[in-house]
Amino acid sequence: MFTKFPALKFILLAAVLAYPLVPFTDYYVLHVAVLTMVYMILAMGLNVVPGFTGLLDLGFVGFYGIGAYTAGILSLSYGLSFWLILPMAVLAGAFVGMLRGAPTLRLSGDYFAIVTFGFTELVVLFLTNEIWLTRGPLGMPGIPPVEIDLRWLHAGWRYVFTGETPYYYLALILVALVYAIMLRVENSRLGRAWLAIREDPLAAASCGVNLMLFKTVAFAFSAAIGALAGCLMARWSMFLSPDIFKFWESFLVLCMLVLGGLGNVNGAIVGAVILICLGEVLRIVLPKLGLPAETRFLVYGLIMIFIMRFKPAGFMPHVAGCSFVGRRARELKARLEAERAG
Amino acid sequence: MDAILKVDGVSKRFGGLMALSDVSFEIRPGRIMGLIGPNGAGKTTMFNCIAGIYTPTDGRILLNQEGRALEVNGSKPERMTQLGVARTFQNIRLFGSLTVLDNVRIGRHCRTGQGFWGAVLRTRAQKAEEALLIEQSLEYLDFVGLKGKALDIATSLSYGDQRRLEIARAMASGPKLLLLDEPAAGMNPQETASLVDLIHAILEKGITVVLIEHDMKLVMKICEHLVVLDHGVMIAEGGPRDIRENPQVIEAYLGRGAAHA
Amino acid sequence: MLEQQLINGLTLGLVYALIAVGYTMVYGVIELINFAHGEVYMLGAFFCVTFISAFGIPLFPAIVLAMACCAALGMLIDRIAYKPLRKAPRLAALITAIGVSIFLQNLAMIIWGSRPMPFVRKAVPAIFDEVAFSFSDVSISWMQVFIYVVTMTMMIALSLIINKTRIGTAMRALAQNQTSAALMGINVDRVISFTFALGSSLGAMAGIMVAMYYNSMSAMMGYNAGVKAFAAAVLGGIGSVPGAMLGGIVLGIAETLGAGYISSEYRDGLGYAVMILVIIIRPSGLLGKAVGQKA
Repeated sequence: MFTKFPALKFILLAAVLAYPLVPFTDYYVLHVAVLTMVYMILAMGLNVVPGFTGLLDLGFVGFYGIGAYTAGILSLSYGLSFWLILPMAVLAGAFVGMLRGAPTLRLSGDYFAIVTFGFTELVVLFLTNEIWLTRGPLGMPGIPPVEIDLRWLHAGWRYVFTGETPYYYLALILVALVYAIMLRVENSRLGRAWLAIREDPLAAASCGVNLMLFKTVAFAFSAAIGALAGCLMARWSMFLSPDIFKFWESFLVLCMLVLGGLGNVNGAIVGAVILICLGEVLRIVLPKLGLPAETRFLVYGLIMIFIMRFKPAGFMPHVAGCSFVGRRARELKARLEAERAG
Repeated sequence: MDAILKVDGVSKRFGGLMALSDVSFEIRPGRIMGLIGPNGAGKTTMFNCIAGIYTPTDGRILLNQEGRALEVNGSKPERMTQLGVARTFQNIRLFGSLTVLDNVRIGRHCRTGQGFWGAVLRTRAQKAEEALLIEQSLEYLDFVGLKGKALDIATSLSYGDQRRLEIARAMASGPKLLLLDEPAAGMNPQETASLVDLIHAILEKGITVVLIEHDMKLVMKICEHLVVLDHGVMIAEGGPRDIRENPQVIEAYLGRGAAHA
Repeated sequence: MLEQQLINGLTLGLVYALIAVGYTMVYGVIELINFAHGEVYMLGAFFCVTFISAFGIPLFPAIVLAMACCAALGMLIDRIAYKPLRKAPRLAALITAIGVSIFLQNLAMIIWGSRPMPFVRKAVPAIFDEVAFSFSDVSISWMQVFIYVVTMTMMIALSLIINKTRIGTAMRALAQNQTSAALMGINVDRVISFTFALGSSLGAMAGIMVAMYYNSMSAMMGYNAGVKAFAAAVLGGIGSVPGAMLGGIVLGIAETLGAGYISSEYRDGLGYAVMILVIIIRPSGLLGKAVGQKA
């Protein structure tokens, strides 16, 4: 679609950038937009492990939780600024990702999935029970909003994020950042090594790929992104509770990936948009049909069953394009054609 | 140490099965060696031991590193490739849904070094390495005659082309020893003939080749030295003519191939 | 005190064992983690309660009927959701299984509400509440006796079916090598259906007994119990029926003792921790054959 009408890309981009500034913006729509972007980051993060290395991670939401609670605790107990906490949360995520990854390096398939699942359940249990740290099931309200504090430069320069609009732009920047990093990593020696591991770990090893090292990097990277999303979410929604991070969330993010096409970064984004929007639509429509809003989970379950049955490669099954895309592919193709003719 | 690689009393046991029993031979540089024997003789097991996929239950494998003998039994496949031992697989293990070019680029993994930060920051060094890598990969593809198909998906290639791609991928790791596991399997006479040319071209590049093959005509034609295995035991070693007339070898094959070659 | 904990732990363990065999049998024949099994366990209890309160059927017939319904449900799930994916990659089947589990869980929540509800008190014979045996400071209620007797009977029956009947042998053959089994003339689909039916009916029984024992059931009970029973199956060696039985008992006792002596908040965590440790240290579990990582 974008290759046929390149202008479409710019129009869409302009629309997305300008939306909050337009007079008819709706607070609810902005809110859903930010939520969608949080999930976009989550989906891109999860994509690294099953999409690139071919291992099924059922416990991704654990890192989301770790990032969120790190942000929450550091904000509330130490009053640290969001900009300081963000890299800290990311590092915490990466560290825990490596920790969880270490004993699983030799595992494959089902066993890996089970361990990741169990791990996250333990994380949630920990978050629920360690009340001295996390306030447990009571939740953690009152997390301060993000602010840009430049008073050390000039007395009046302090901007506290209020409303949805500043978060919209913050989320947009983070999504763009993660997206750009993903594309670069995908189209690099690292990305290719991961894809090799996904396709055939034995052959990958025979090509010189250090399986243990690259898997660990994948785990750390994926977890770091999950923690990033958590950090954003904590300071945006300003409230945390352990049951935001139950297994269901891991499954939801997985569904977004599968819907969009596993391994495809664009697919992750599309999947996030589809499922969040669908969720919101169902949240409104279902009560009108006399069903509780929670029924939408049932719909999600059904959707997953149908997708797996009929379109298991997702809607954008194009394999992760570590091969060239767009311009560089065309250039190479043209060159090869010329050589063949000449 | 003269030989490129020395197998010294290697045995490999799987539970109750002795796949290899006290096998010893040397791989000399600059010539084509053939590892032959009836099915189940342990040939691929031997390759797997050399390439690091299996650890020998007994014995040593020594690799020539600048004149000194390095004990490599028990090393991981990644390390063996880095040390200069590359291999292809009996059942073709390509990265199926990736492009031909990517398969080769991954093959060159151990000779490149850029990591996460290089990728994310797109440093000048990283860009240079990537550009060089493309050129080098295209050269390897050209060498096996697949350059025009660089952007095709690996599984879309014909069987013969897939085998060539696997060879290109193995060569991309810059090996000094190349292990080919039944490279001619499933090929017609024309494809086999061009395979022979390819193997000679590989030899000309200074790479030592060891072949597992069942096609006796091919083996007798190009191999300068043969090692024969049967039920995990080495039963003969020598030039093609000696092997062809060796009664033990003929008996092991029971008139298959060897008697007609 | 310790003895009482052991008795309680054994009761819990036998229930886990009953659920665990369902997981392990299905994994044995089609190498799929049947996430929906926990929901079948839950529905067993709900079906039973519905039969009693809506149709006035007495307890024991209601139990049998509920078991039969769950057996049918298990076969239906396999037929509709899993069978079309027999040749699909593992990820697809796993996601489908989770999807079915979520679907059933939420369906139950819609029909019966999400809050815990009690079992039908008046249907349960009053004697079950009473103490059957009592010595030193241990007391065993008739309810517990009922659980022991029923689970033991079922496990013995299961062992007999697996080891002495033709279809049981077919199940074992299928677990070893599906292709060869098919070539030997075994009707693969029928055996798989039977496996589901068997596991599901046992799971349903477990659900009913748990609901009676704790006098509480909810649409969410399948999730928790399911994970723990699966942990038990892994502990015993996934694919091994005696392993699942042993694993269930061990886990039940460990969990009860752990909750009593170490920490009651992390009682659920024990199951998860066990699962993780077993997979990392000895993936073949207690009774499985040592599995070497394939090259």
